[in-house]
Amino acid sequence: MTIWKLRNNNPLRKSYVTNNIKQNEFDALIRITVEMSKYLYPYIREIMKSKEDIEENTVIWNDFNKRFNELIKERFNINSMRVKKLLNQAENDEIIIKSLLTLSFCISNQGYQKLKNFLYDF
Amino acid sequence: MQNKLSFHQSSASLEIIGLPDYSNNENKDQISIISQWKLTIVDKPLIEGKFEHLGPIMNAFYIYSNLLIKNEIPIYKSKLIDIKADNLHMHNIVLKSSKPNVKPLVLKIGNSLLSDTINCFDQLNESPKVRIKKTYIPTKIPEKLRFGLDKKINFFNFFIPPFIAICSLILFSSSFIYFYSPFENIEKKELINPE
Repeated sequence: MTIWKLRNNNPLRKSYVTNNIKQNEFDALIRITVEMSKYLYPYIREIMKSKEDIEENTVIWNDFNKRFNELIKERFNINSMRVKKLLNQAENDEIIIKSLLTLSFCISNQGYQKLKNFLYDF
Repeated sequence: MQNKLSFHQSSASLEIIGLPDYSNNENKDQISIISQWKLTIVDKPLIEGKFEHLGPIMNAFYIYSNLLIKNEIPIYKSKLIDIKADNLHMHNIVLKSSKPNVKPLVLKIGNSLLSDTINCFDQLNESPKVRIKKTYIPTKIPEKLRFGLDKKINFFNFFIPPFIAICSLILFSSSFIYFYSPFENIEKKELINPE
């Protein structure tokens, strides 16, 4: 329930609530993300791999991209310019690849610290 | 007899060969004096070298991966290794040999192999069995980038934007005084109907 509430701190969401996220809550979210990345690394890797060779089968990438867009439309405020950018087919490839790369670089034991630094650098 | 340690991640594996530093009373399975290392990436030529090459190569991969994520131009150049992005998904690596008359080794790897390689290096950095000078991993957060996540909204910051907005509105509307004067209109009406 607490995690569900914390998600609403994302200003791109439809259900955005202007709560100020606390440092320990932010850290907890990073830890959860890193643990999920470790668990999902084989899938993340396959998604990136399917996009590397255009001649190869890109079914995995297309499926992921379709689901990503569906979730954005369902849960995010599509009137926002930043969300429109996420849905723009010409621009969102780069955003998705960089996000996947960031997650894939943070699966080690020090992944929490690495992801935290990446996020502070954005 | 030399010790051998391997770090695996999907399609990449890193092998470290070396000896413990007995003068430091280390365990016999420890590696502190690295004599050789090998990086194997599936379907790519074997990359191997001496201890002095390992640090710069790991640094190159770490710095390049950071540039890639931070929306900066992803190019890394050094005496030993060049890495640049061909496009969003492919990376071009040129490994230059320290021996004369040896052609540089050119590799093209995708994002999946790049992340496998980085993860192998991470495992090496975190391994308690290998003692190496820790390579570049961004751990320090620059001061200017620290943002207060739970910072309360300052009273001054809360009121200053609407205050500036009102002031600018008054300034802007005061310029209309030059186009319309209510006193002139009253005088004109009095002249038309002098009662």
